[in-house]
Order: sequence, then structure tokens, then C-alpha cells
Amino acid sequence: MQRWTGALLALIVLGIALSVGFFYSQGSADFWGQDRQPVAFSHRLHAGRLRIDCLFCHRGAQISPVASIPPLSLCLSCHRSLKAQTPETEKVLAYWNSRQPIPWVRLQRLPDFVRFTHQIHLYAGFQCTDCHGEVAQMSGTPRAPTYEMGWCISCHKRNRASEDCFTCHY
Amino acid sequence: MDLKRRDFLKTVGLTAAGSLLPGCTQASHKLIPYLLPDDEIIPGIANWYATVCQECEAGCGIIVRVMEGRAKKIEGNPTHPLNQGKLCAVGQASLQGLYNPDRIRGPLQRDGTRGEEKFRPIGWEEGLSRWVSALQKHPKGAVMVSRPVFGTLAHLFSEFMRGISGELHFYRPSDEVAVRAANRLSFGIESLPQYDLANATYLLSFGAPFVDRWLSPVHFGVAYGKMRQGRPGVRGQFVQVEPRLSLTGASADRWVPIRPGTEGLLAMGIGQAILKRGRGRLAKGDRSRFERLYAPFPVDRIEAQTEVPREDIIRLADEFSSAAAPLAIGGGIAAAQTNGTDTLMAINALNILSGNLNRPGGIRFFQPPRNLPFEEDPPSGEETLEKVRSRFDEGRRSVLMLYQANPLFTLPPSMRFGEVFKKADFIVSFSSFMDESTAMADLILPDHFFLENWSDHLQKGIISVPAVGLAQPVVMPLYDTRAVGDLVLSAARAEGMPKVDLPWKNFREMMQGRWRDLSNLQAFEDPFETTWIKRLQQGGWWGAPGDPLPVQKREPPASIAQARFEGDEKTFPFYFHPFPSLGLNDGAGANRPWLQELPDTVTTAVWGSWIEINPRTAERLGLRTGDMVRVISAFGQLEAPAVLFPGTRPDLISIPIGQGHSAYGRYAKGRGVNPLSILAPLVDQKSGALASGATRVRIERVGRPGNLVLIDQTAQGDKRNSGAARGEA
Repeated sequence: MQRWTGALLALIVLGIALSVGFFYSQGSADFWGQDRQPVAFSHRLHAGRLRIDCLFCHRGAQISPVASIPPLSLCLSCHRSLKAQTPETEKVLAYWNSRQPIPWVRLQRLPDFVRFTHQIHLYAGFQCTDCHGEVAQMSGTPRAPTYEMGWCISCHKRNRASEDCFTCHY
Repeated sequence: MDLKRRDFLKTVGLTAAGSLLPGCTQASHKLIPYLLPDDEIIPGIANWYATVCQECEAGCGIIVRVMEGRAKKIEGNPTHPLNQGKLCAVGQASLQGLYNPDRIRGPLQRDGTRGEEKFRPIGWEEGLSRWVSALQKHPKGAVMVSRPVFGTLAHLFSEFMRGISGELHFYRPSDEVAVRAANRLSFGIESLPQYDLANATYLLSFGAPFVDRWLSPVHFGVAYGKMRQGRPGVRGQFVQVEPRLSLTGASADRWVPIRPGTEGLLAMGIGQAILKRGRGRLAKGDRSRFERLYAPFPVDRIEAQTEVPREDIIRLADEFSSAAAPLAIGGGIAAAQTNGTDTLMAINALNILSGNLNRPGGIRFFQPPRNLPFEEDPPSGEETLEKVRSRFDEGRRSVLMLYQANPLFTLPPSMRFGEVFKKADFIVSFSSFMDESTAMADLILPDHFFLENWSDHLQKGIISVPAVGLAQPVVMPLYDTRAVGDLVLSAARAEGMPKVDLPWKNFREMMQGRWRDLSNLQAFEDPFETTWIKRLQQGGWWGAPGDPLPVQKREPPASIAQARFEGDEKTFPFYFHPFPSLGLNDGAGANRPWLQELPDTVTTAVWGSWIEINPRTAERLGLRTGDMVRVISAFGQLEAPAVLFPGTRPDLISIPIGQGHSAYGRYAKGRGVNPLSILAPLVDQKSGALASGATRVRIERVGRPGNLVLIDQTAQGDKRNSGAARGEA
């Protein structure tokens, strides 16, 4: 009986640990605030209600491999003169006043052996939402779908883009 | 349910482990934006900046890939006339100097006794004032030993040292000192010529390790490629004369394993044979002088002393004299003897004899136009530093200043330069790393690393066009360091210092002033501001190819002194040859892991020292590759694993220079041995450069295996080596 309970307990615990790990690695879970940003930035507000263009903030996307996140000074160009501050917008001002950048949590990361560039995909006529989803309707920014090779290839196939290894791995 | 304490603990442990699974956050999981955008930086897009490599004296033009303010990769500058877009491993690895974890990160003040290596951080103001007050306390007492620098920094150093009545020496171990002395005596021009390898059809090299590391390895690598494969239908022939088969020797068509110290004699033998066959291209009056010179050297004596068979000498003479564009060069081990300059002069005589001076494929002297506002400061030999020591002994000098020179490592202890470090009242070092000499300093005022610094580099000889490289900072200084030029300028301005005419606010301004002069002299069309930007983009200025300098003097050596060796032949039966290694150079590369793991091209050894022994010699002593061997000279001994190497004479022991550091950071310290540490204090008579090949040694079997790492595993067995050549051509 005793041995039985021990084994069962161990199994349950292992099961929980594995499923937590699985969901986390799938990028579809936000446990213990892993993905919680230092400021509760809302794409729904900025890109949705305020209709700010993606490229207004992510200026690198069109000219560089990385989309880049805006410098704090760009946030301040509006946030300096808000009518009413909220506790979250106060945080932005506090960062600026202490001359500290906001340490955003990185949600997307491709491994170093992949050379992805935003620029060429935008030139090919893709919209940001094609890959990143309807960000304008999301309040918290979730981890996007898994950017794995199968996903890239399926899109490359659909659009008759190159499937040569050296297109991305060089 | 009945839960025991033990089960409970197990459960807790597992849960903890499970929760750790997704919990591994790293700093790279953060995205840190700029506060203010930088106009020049687009994240993800590289900026390439042109600057000048300063890892050796050659001064190759480089371009550095910088992303978001971090230097990521270095390549050769394609427009620079010296290296033409190519770069050596040392230049590539200079990134590991910039990001080296053992860099000195701010000014340090000695704590405890000298050499105890205890330092405490101080502020820059305090550091500067300590240095200045030491200079004031000892008027006319300062000596500066700097690595060879060229251009504005050299000018600043010499003006400053002259102003405070001190002395300045540019020093790094190199055969350049002997090469210059020989050129002065042979041709009356004391500078480095252009050895036109690219256009030569027959190259006879006496020990010059131009493929390994000689004067400007990248330049010679490019030229060598052109000589062999760059001309349709013409493949230049190449013979290397040296006791140990270097990488250069391994590239040659033929190797002549000559007895060390007799290279000059062989050159005489070849010259004599050419003259006898009437193949020389000499002016009438010269002919008799050459005949007189060669008369006292009968061929059998040369054959006996050099151990090069008579027919080989004749063959070399025939080949050399019948070639369309023959070229003889000398350096490396041939110059590292007590008769080094004589040897090089005898080699120069071969060039005079074949009439290749100022001809394509021969030796051509170019000097920067006289009016260029940059002067050339020749490097000093080891003998000069011995004289410095005696001045410290006598108390005439008392302050030692070191700029990226490490005499405690590069000078043999038998030259007793260590006494300077005991006698000196005050030692200040401007080094970026805690090398052996800096560790003995009282005050360390670290310079920026060269990738964070302004400077310029006058190209000395070697190429046919006048060129001055312009070096700019490619990244912001990583640490609390200051440019040595700025320090010297602020010391010159300090109150109570002798008046020195150095009115500039900072070093960059001084440099710009000299470039303004250059701009005026060369009558550039653009306003200076535009010129300056253009020069920065290009990485310097290079003019049109000038005419070679006329060579008035063509002097054969009056005689050739016999090479002297320290240690008698009975007790010390072997010649000893410490050779500069491909990556570590004179030891400065030892703190760069990339260079440590760069395999020695011939033996494939990495991360340590080794002793090259001929398999026949090894057989006699019962040694196998990897066995520890003790090398003993009259001045010390050292132990390292043996590498059985058929490309070495049976009477020669060779060890690469560069390892054996007792300081210099985590990658260098306590690794391998320094072969310079057992050398005799012998110098080349005429140039004063260290005769590093003049010490005789004996070897002993230690009786245990050493820690030798060879990349090529097939060479580790005895079979392959003992079956191979017997150390003959």
C-alpha cells in the first residue's frame, strides 16, 4: 500500500512537471509571470484603438533583419503629454526620468543558425499580421505561434519561395 | 493516505525540479531598447568601420563589423596597399583582445611590495598626479620603452621624452633591427625595402620566415601567392635555406638544412660561383672588389662549414644567376646570430651581384615623400636595453615607463633587465593587460584597446606606394581606460613640468592637425573636413607609386665574422633555435584562446609548448613524441614534451616562443615554457639585436610523458616519423 502511494505520487508529480514543461516549450502558457512585461503594454490599445502603424514603432522591420523595439524616447513623444497618467504610464515616465531603458521580456527568438530577415518578407508583400497574428486585438502580448522550421517551410511552399537550405542557413 | 516523511521529501524534490524546468531565464531573454535612437545605428544592420590593426608592426588596414556598438568581426581592408583585403589569424583574433576578460579595467595603484601583484583601483586624477609627481621628483630620469609605434603617437612620445630630457626606445624582439643595419651598411639606406616577391622568378631565402611571421606576413603572403600562381605560365621557384624546416620552408620547392650561423658563408659561396662563371651583372670597378671579398673563402671550406654539398652550392649559383628575376632575402634564424648583420650583408651582395636592385622582382627602396609630416622611428635592439639597464645601475635613470612592451618576458633573464625593475624608483605601465612587466609596476594607467582608440600608422618600406593608415575608434571604450596620447598630453600640460611644446587639447586634435598638414602638402581638393571624413572611410591615405630611391652605395661585406656560440660543443652538443610562433608571435598572442587553439601548421600542436627534435636524435635518447624532455643551457633549463620532427637537423633543438607566461591572464599564465628564458646574453655584433640562435644546449630525458596536444593524431605514433626523411633535403 505504502509503496503504491509513493509511486503514484511520483507519477503525478512527474506528469505535472512534464506538462508544464511541454506547454511552456510550446509557447502557449504563461506560468509564474515568465512572459509578464515590466510595463503592461497593450498592443490592443496602441495598434488597435489608436491605430498606430506597426512600423511606426518597429522601425527596423523594413530596413533590417530585426523589427526592433522602439527607443524609449519614441514612447515619450506621446507619453510626455498624456492627459491623465495611469499607474502603468507612470512606470514609463519613471524609467525615462531615471534614464533607464525598459527591460522588455523577449518573446520571440530564433536560434543563431537561422538567418531570418523581416525586410525581405515585407518587400514580398506580407503583412505583419500574417505571421504575428491580429496583435491589434491582443491586450497582453502572448508568445506567437512556434516559429519552427516546419512552419517556415510550409509557408515557403505555399508561396513558392525558395526551399534551399542556404536560403536561411548560411 | 499515509504519507511518510521520506515520501514527502521525495515529492517536494520532484516538484522543485519540475518547476525549474521552464525557469531558466537568461539575460539574453531581455530586449533592452535604446533610450535615445542613435542616428548611425539601425539594430540588426552592421556598420563597417575602417581602421588599422595594431597587433604587430606591419599595420594592416582592417575593416571592423560593428553591430549595435559591438565589434563582431574583422576583415582586411581591400583598398589598403599593404594587405590588399587579407588579414592574418592574429588580426582576426584581436577581437579577443578587446573583449578579453583579463583586461585592466581602470587605473591601478600598487598595494604591497613590488611584484606581489596586489593592486588597488584608484581614480584617474590621482593616477595622473602620481605619475606626474614621479616625473617631477626625478627630472631627466625617465626612460620609456614602447612597442614600435608609427605616426603621430611616435611623434608625441619622442617630443614628450625630449621635453623632459628622458630617453625613448621602441622595442619588440624582431630581426628588423639586423635587416635595417645590413641595409644601411650595404646600400646606405636604413629602411626596409620592398622585396618584390610578386615579380621574382627565383627566390632564395636564407631563413626569412615570410610565410610564418616576418615584417609583414600578410603582405608577403599575398606577394608569395602572386609569385607562385599569379602570372600565367610563370611559377616562381623558391628555395629555403634554414636549419629547421619552418612553415615557409615547407612551402618551398627545396629545403637546404644548413648549419646554423653559416648562412652568410653559403651566400659567399654562391656569389663566388656566380662570379667564377662570369654570370654576375656588376659594374667594372665592383667586380674586383667582389673578387677580393670572395678570395679568402675556398669552396671546400664553405662546404665543410655549412654542411651544404659543393654540388648544391653550384646548383644554387647556376639557378640564381640564370633566373630572369632572382631575389635573395635573409632573416629569421639567419639574422639571429652574432654575425647576423654580416650574413644579411652577404645575402645583399648576392642581390648586388645579380643586378636586381631597383628592378621589378628585386629589391627596391621606397621612402615616403620627404615632406610627409610623419617620421619613421627605428626600433631598438636588445643591446640598447642593456645600456638602459646600466644607466639605471648607475642611478642616472630612475623612472621606467612601459607602453605595451614586456621586456621581462621577451628579454632573456641573463641580460639582467630585471634589475631595472628592482632599481627603478617608479614604474608606470600603460598596458591593457597584466603582463609580466606590468605586474611589476607601481602604477598602471591602462590605455584603450586599439579598437577603441585614435591613431595613425606610417607605412615603412615594404610597399611601393606611400601610405599612412588612419585608425579610428570602432566601439566606445568598454572600461574606464584612457588613451595614452591624452595622458601624455595632460602630463605635458601639468604644472611644474618642463615646458614641452605640445599645445593640443587631446590626441585626436593633434592627429587631425598632422592630417591637415598632409592635406595641405598633398594639395587635396576638398576642404579638410571633407578630406578627413574620406580618409576615415577609406582607412587612411595612399599616394601614387613613387620612383624607387637611387641606391648609390653597393657595398659587399668587408668580411664575415664567424658566428659565436655560448656553451662548448662537448657539454652542450645542440644548437638551439627559439622561433616566433605563427599565432602567439613574441608572446603577446598567448592570452587569446583562438590563437592558443590555432594549430602550429607543421606539427599541429595547440595550447602549449613543445620541443622539436630530429627522430634520429630522439632514437638515440629513446624519446618518443610526447615524452618530456629537459633542455639545459648554461643559463637555465626548461621542460616540455618532445615532438619528433624530421624537418630539423639532428644537431638542432627548436622551441616556439610565446608560451611560458608567469602572468598575462587566465589563458596565458602557467602554460608551457619560454625558450627565451635560457638564452645567453649574446647580441649581433653590428646591429645589437639579440642573437637568439647563439646559445648551445643539451637535452635530457625526463622519463615521464608530457601533456602534448596534437591535432593530427596520425603523427603521434613513432612509425610515421621514424620512417620519414632524415633531416636532409
